Amino acid sequence: MKCLLLANESAEVLFYWTDTEFEQRVQEQYGVSQEEGERLPAFEDSINTLFAPIIISCSTMVDRLGDNYTSFSTENNHIYVLHQFEECLYIAVNGDGDETEEDLKRKIFVMKKLTEIMFGMVTFSGALLRKELRPQDTEQRNRLWKKLRSLLETYSRLRENDQSFLVEAVERLIHPTLCEQCIEFLERRLVQQINSNMDRMGEEVLHAFILVHTKLLAFYSSRNASNLYSSDLLALIILVQDLYPSKINLDETSEELESSSVPEVFYTPEPSPPERESVRQRGDSPPVFQFVDPDVQMAEDSLQTLEAPTPDPSAPSRVFLESKECPMPHSMYCLPLWPGITLVLLTKIPNSHVATSVCYFLEAFVKLEKRLCEGHEGAAAMRGQPSVQEQRSRLEKLIKTWAGMDIQTSQLQNAWTDFKNKAFICCPLCTGSFLQLSAWAAVKKLMDWKDFLLVKSKRNITMEFPGLIHFIYVDRSNGQMIAPSLNVTDRTVSELGKGPLADFIKKKVWSLVATAQRYLQKGYATVTLRDGDYFYCYFLWFENETGYKLEVIDIPSSPDDGAPVGMLTCDYYRKLLRYYSKKHQNEVVKCYELFTVHLGVIPNEYILQHCSQLARKLWEPTRIPLL
Amino acid sequence: KITLPPLTNSFFFLYDSSKVQEEVDLTRDGIYYFSPEDTPIDQQELLCGQLAGVCRCVSELSSSPVRLLHLRKSKYAVRMKDKFLWALSCVVDIPDVSVCDLLDQLIALFCFYNGPVRQSYQLYSKQELALRWARYLCHLQGGSTELHHIFSCLRTIDSTHIDPLLLLKAALILQACQRCPLVLAGCILYRGRVVSTQMPPALTVKVMVYETQTYSQDFQVTANGLSSLVGSPFSSTATTQVFLMPTELHMLRCPPVDRACRSHCNQPPCQPSRSRLLSRTLSDTPTTDTDSSMPSSPRSSLSDELCFSPSPSRVNTPIHSNLMNQSEYFTPDSHVHSTSNGTNLCAVEEHLAGLNINQIKSEENKLDANNHVTNKNGNGETEEEAKTKSKQINRKLKEKNEPTNTPSPHETLEDTSLVPLVLYQHRVKGLVLALLVEPEFITDHSAREEVHHSSLASLNGLEAHLRNTSPGTPGPPGPYTFAHYDCIQNTLTTNVCGRSVGPQDQAFVKATKLVHSHFSRLDTLQEAIVRNASSAVYGTRTTAQETYFLQQGTPVRNSGSPDPQDSAFSLPRKARLRLLKHGVNLL
Repeated sequence: MKCLLLANESAEVLFYWTDTEFEQRVQEQYGVSQEEGERLPAFEDSINTLFAPIIISCSTMVDRLGDNYTSFSTENNHIYVLHQFEECLYIAVNGDGDETEEDLKRKIFVMKKLTEIMFGMVTFSGALLRKELRPQDTEQRNRLWKKLRSLLETYSRLRENDQSFLVEAVERLIHPTLCEQCIEFLERRLVQQINSNMDRMGEEVLHAFILVHTKLLAFYSSRNASNLYSSDLLALIILVQDLYPSKINLDETSEELESSSVPEVFYTPEPSPPERESVRQRGDSPPVFQFVDPDVQMAEDSLQTLEAPTPDPSAPSRVFLESKECPMPHSMYCLPLWPGITLVLLTKIPNSHVATSVCYFLEAFVKLEKRLCEGHEGAAAMRGQPSVQEQRSRLEKLIKTWAGMDIQTSQLQNAWTDFKNKAFICCPLCTGSFLQLSAWAAVKKLMDWKDFLLVKSKRNITMEFPGLIHFIYVDRSNGQMIAPSLNVTDRTVSELGKGPLADFIKKKVWSLVATAQRYLQKGYATVTLRDGDYFYCYFLWFENETGYKLEVIDIPSSPDDGAPVGMLTCDYYRKLLRYYSKKHQNEVVKCYELFTVHLGVIPNEYILQHCSQLARKLWEPTRIPLL
Repeated sequence: KITLPPLTNSFFFLYDSSKVQEEVDLTRDGIYYFSPEDTPIDQQELLCGQLAGVCRCVSELSSSPVRLLHLRKSKYAVRMKDKFLWALSCVVDIPDVSVCDLLDQLIALFCFYNGPVRQSYQLYSKQELALRWARYLCHLQGGSTELHHIFSCLRTIDSTHIDPLLLLKAALILQACQRCPLVLAGCILYRGRVVSTQMPPALTVKVMVYETQTYSQDFQVTANGLSSLVGSPFSSTATTQVFLMPTELHMLRCPPVDRACRSHCNQPPCQPSRSRLLSRTLSDTPTTDTDSSMPSSPRSSLSDELCFSPSPSRVNTPIHSNLMNQSEYFTPDSHVHSTSNGTNLCAVEEHLAGLNINQIKSEENKLDANNHVTNKNGNGETEEEAKTKSKQINRKLKEKNEPTNTPSPHETLEDTSLVPLVLYQHRVKGLVLALLVEPEFITDHSAREEVHHSSLASLNGLEAHLRNTSPGTPGPPGPYTFAHYDCIQNTLTTNVCGRSVGPQDQAFVKATKLVHSHFSRLDTLQEAIVRNASSAVYGTRTTAQETYFLQQGTPVRNSGSPDPQDSAFSLPRKARLRLLKHGVNLL
């Protein structure tokens, strides 16, 4: 029984997602008639009615007590988590015990991240976000909500099954030679060629990478590109997985790899919703690069991109990526090479610099509005802030510049809409034939490696340590992780690798990570636990670039209502590194984490020795150049 | 550095939503009790109104009562039952499980002394009951360390400084009392701390209410006053009606063999109190034979001698008898006030309000003199007084009872689920023998005599011994900090002392909170070591105990990377060695 809801301060639902159980419960409780066609609005109304008292009470508490609810729990262990971002209230509910309070909080923050990726600076303003998330047109709204729901479900699936989304770090395929070759390919054959092409209409490839399922095979950034943060990369993987879901299920793998053994069904994958099925089939079919006339693909708005019933590889999605100044609009092209292997290109769109100005004004206006609401006169502007007049003249100047750029802009109140039109005009990256060529080149390049890669993605790393059951090693400085796959079925790896035991271990690993993060949030960087027949360790430490281990520091403990520990959401580790670097200003500081699960019968001394050996060995692969 | 007990700045309220149903109803009508009482009424209304509204909404959505409500700056443990809503707040870093336990204890305390809540509010004014809530709240908050709140444990006498023979003696006194078949179980308290108990911890804590308060550190001045006071001969007995839950009663009535079995089966001590308010169905209703067979004589807060005379009035319905006792037992501080003297009651009131401690002291002294006389000079007069008083009370009762309607079916159900019993207390200076006895005990003259006389001499002896035992100057604090919680007896042994807590102790308490919370969530978790830059804490638990250990001193420079030489990992070995001398066996 799950639900996620976004509402604004006037208790208007901006978006909701529920599972069928929750929907049924609400309908039973409120006797909502379930007529075909009418079902949706009626259900939306009842959701609205149900949550309205909570939403209203939230604003009362904020206004009158300066405090706000963060969670409720009931005697039958239903959990409600609430979080307010500016004017937008998120509520996540779980009634089936699958998710903890922490999970729900994370889900809320991920939802927030997804809206930021999709809508950029619109999320700065409640009114604009409302317009964007709740279009007047019901059709349009349904389409958007369907897209958001699908993204949320994709995230939940990844969070539940994929270790890289468990620890929120990108997993790399460990194969130095191939990796290097691919990077070279991306650089010479793809990015350089596309960017030197005259047909690209002002677009420029900034980043290119190849994913094998959710794992990163190679990544290349052009010289003028700014840094792509791990949080964005993870969010982009969610988008890619939403377009081309890969079937990483425990039993599927085991059947693939062990066709000789008696098939046993240990794990039943959750039934996918019917609409997902069609997408999956598309993902499965061999990719055909049928590029229609790219000009036809022009999308005026990101919403219209969502509209497209089939994800056309040459139709880019608009994504907003973090940069120093503001969320910068980019185009993302996803090209499935084989099922499970995807080439992703991120391009800078022409006029994207407009975003910086718009962002500036948007923030200025939001501040101004707040000030006016609080009763300060515009004239009595706060110190250090430009006056209204100043803002106005700046804005006028900007609009003139835009006019010069052939953008139809005349009125102040239209500034935003017009920006959107401009910024959202998707220029097709290059002619179809060219894109086709690059994709073909990629296909040719990887042809021999394809099967290897797909298997490798499931059995990335193995390590022989008696008594060691599982580990996850994370380099937080570059946001990457290494771990043996939990769905490995090769008998040589571990007898624990399949069936209910694997599932049990998986649960344990998931709970270990959650536990470690909870302790880390409270400032504990080393944790060992003896739980049942297993012994768990967690370590976080800092090193300089040469691998010299730096002294441990007191990590500030963060409040319970703060962002969850992770990278996808608010990037805790980036802040942690910044905090540590203040004390080591003249050297590069790196941050590592190690999670291990051992058999409990192994003496502690051996376990700790293992951990330290493991950390030493794993340090090596991270030396592979990725850029 | 002084750290305040975690509940000092907390809110507690009882709200009846059945009083606020129409638009015109005022929220304040639903507020039965709100602490701190000097909170402005509009703020009280705001909090009660908002929390009650949200709780109702959530409980409807989930078809289950709300249990916990987190805010950014505080958290509330919540109980919802029959339109009542109790909420107790605390700071956010107290474990959820601890604050929920505290609220449950608070409600249980109220019901123990007053019976069902709805009925109590039909009988007494909000003001009268507010006084009691305040007292119970004070009892739970009073004077103990943060660790005590985390484990919500009993305050026990420091057994390491006491001749074990004395503990044996205490246990023998209790066993001797049990020879009287009407005595169910007992406990012996010395200056607000448990010396020996036969009751489950949840019951012991209820019996201790007034004792702990008297001797808690919050009332240091008063306690000093009393300790000077107990120098004079001072012995009295009193009885109070109390209400037990069927589960509690069952545990008391089952034979000792079963009792042994009980602890063997390892039933979590707090379980009955949890289930109590959650589901009370007809099937839970105990055999009502006690109700019907209960002789309804006025339970007296007066000295026991008074009760030897036949009671002038007899009331026949359980409810009536209950009313009777309640109003008579207006302030159940019977152990202090063995005479029913108006001034004494006043003194108690003031004492509670914390108004003028010096005045209280003098009142107590006066009272002491009074008692002294009473006990010495026979009791013709007092008996007379008592009779008049009970008549007055009867009148008062009738007045009160007439306008009240017959209880609703639900309330009747609630009534039958709490079983009236009698708490007998025999005080010898700082020492109190508290026995839970069958109601017949009061009228059974010979039984009373027997219990009184069989225990009197031993109690006097025990008191003298305990008084002469040096309060135990704690030895030089070791280079470590520990806390050992006995889940079965609900007791805590620790060397974190009092309220002045150093940085190492703070680090210890912080880690203990987290690990305890983790233990409470994960049954299979056996041990944990958590380490930050300045401290490492080791926690281990079995079904019977939880132990936490911190080695003091600055840790050797380390990086936090996996290292077998890391001193944090030697904590289990150190804890095993060091704690042996505290009677903690971790082997």
